[in-house]
Amino acid sequence: MKLNFSQVTKSFGDLNVIKQFDTSIADGEIVALVGPSGCGKSTLLHMLAGLQQPSSGSLTADGDSVAEPSPERTLVFQEHALYPWMTLRDNVSLALEFQDQPRKESLVEAEKWLARVQLSGFEDYYPHQVSGGMRQRCALARAFIARPKVLLLDEPFGALDALTRMTLQSVLKDLIEEERPTVVLVTHDVDEALYLADRVMVFSQRPATVLKEVELGHIPKTHDLSAFADVRREVLNLLGIDTEQHEPKDYQGEMA
Amino acid sequence: MADRSSSGVASKRAYVAAILIIMLFWQVAAWFLPDFLMPDVPTALIRLWEELNSSEFYEGLGNSMTRLGAGYGSALFFGIILGLVGGTLNAVRSTLKAAIIILQSIPSIAWVPLFLILMGFGNLPIIVVVAIGAFFPTALSVMNATESVEKVHISAARVMGASKLQMLKRVYFPAVTPELITGAQLAFGNAWRALISAEMIVGFSAGLGKSLAYSGEIADMTGVMTNILVIAVLAAVIDQVILERIKHRLLRYQYL
Repeated sequence: MKLNFSQVTKSFGDLNVIKQFDTSIADGEIVALVGPSGCGKSTLLHMLAGLQQPSSGSLTADGDSVAEPSPERTLVFQEHALYPWMTLRDNVSLALEFQDQPRKESLVEAEKWLARVQLSGFEDYYPHQVSGGMRQRCALARAFIARPKVLLLDEPFGALDALTRMTLQSVLKDLIEEERPTVVLVTHDVDEALYLADRVMVFSQRPATVLKEVELGHIPKTHDLSAFADVRREVLNLLGIDTEQHEPKDYQGEMA
Repeated sequence: MADRSSSGVASKRAYVAAILIIMLFWQVAAWFLPDFLMPDVPTALIRLWEELNSSEFYEGLGNSMTRLGAGYGSALFFGIILGLVGGTLNAVRSTLKAAIIILQSIPSIAWVPLFLILMGFGNLPIIVVVAIGAFFPTALSVMNATESVEKVHISAARVMGASKLQMLKRVYFPAVTPELITGAQLAFGNAWRALISAEMIVGFSAGLGKSLAYSGEIADMTGVMTNILVIAVLAAVIDQVILERIKHRLLRYQYL
């Protein structure tokens, strides 16, 4: 599904969050939005989901104006978005039941998807009984089961520890490769953006403007991002992270 | 698990101890007062046994339970609906809440004269008074809970394409259930008080309250104490056994 922002502005009262934002996302493209907290990238995502509307400008999906949420454009939240009163199986099957599919078939389908995110055997567990990583696996299953054309991810692994996060990134990458939705990922994690995305957009402080776009193309990648060291350094510098070495650095001598 | 069952045993022990202490106070009072003013505990227990073998007792019990069921049941039904609807409508919520708080402060028994004249002598005014007693705490607890349903739970349902009705049934209702149950237990206390007092005042056909009032009129203190005993035991059984069971069943996910 092709997404298009044209002169999109969003303000909350006097607060200008997004100013005349333009971009186009191709069908099947994977775009990561990175930037400082509160820069408005999550707002862009919520507008794509149809949860918020632009104050002015137009936002279209395959040419149609995005006015309200649709299961075609699903959103994965950071955490706590699973329903605590439902088992993992019910949480996943709900995505189909909300589209008026029969409960019985939905439950069967949910089990298949839980298996695809390696959660077989945990179908009858409630979210609070499993780890944060397992909850986000379940959230991915719930997002993918409806076969969305657009997958929107709002810092999906932000609350996880580094190792779990990398595992989940691999799970997500596999799912994206198999299902090929258009993906928009909002993240703080530059490595996550480089690992998953075909294109990385680096945002400034509010109101969000694009400082840089990095076109990586759809190429096979691993967690070893050494090939992208230059890009990584540049993006980090843009985000105000120093990558230069400074004095004192004699501790290196001690370690040798 | 071990914690919970041991605390269950502890609370049962506390109940037994409390019952014994209450009986002791009663018995001490009976020793100091003449029999026609305060019967011994065994005398009342013997009377209770006789009552349990008489058909009039069951007629009164049946009438009272029917009134309680009709009044409390309809209060729960309408309280949940008003709470859910009121909680989701931002425009009317504060006004509605203020109205409930004002009306709630009126003792339910104060409505008796009004409804007696409006509806005539019969079951209906008693049922309505019971319902009024139970309605406000139910509606208020559901409304407060609806207001504080987590935003991400609502957004998640919207992006999954939930209709308004599905949202109410699968998201709002289960989300407010914990507070609803607390409100329903509070409402039961109100309903029970309203039932007994209304029956004492109205005195229409047999019932627990009428039986108590009648014993008082003929200065049958053994009858008075026996009736109080029945009223106390029934309330404890309904609240601690039936409502607690329902609570554990509905909130099963919280106890795992």
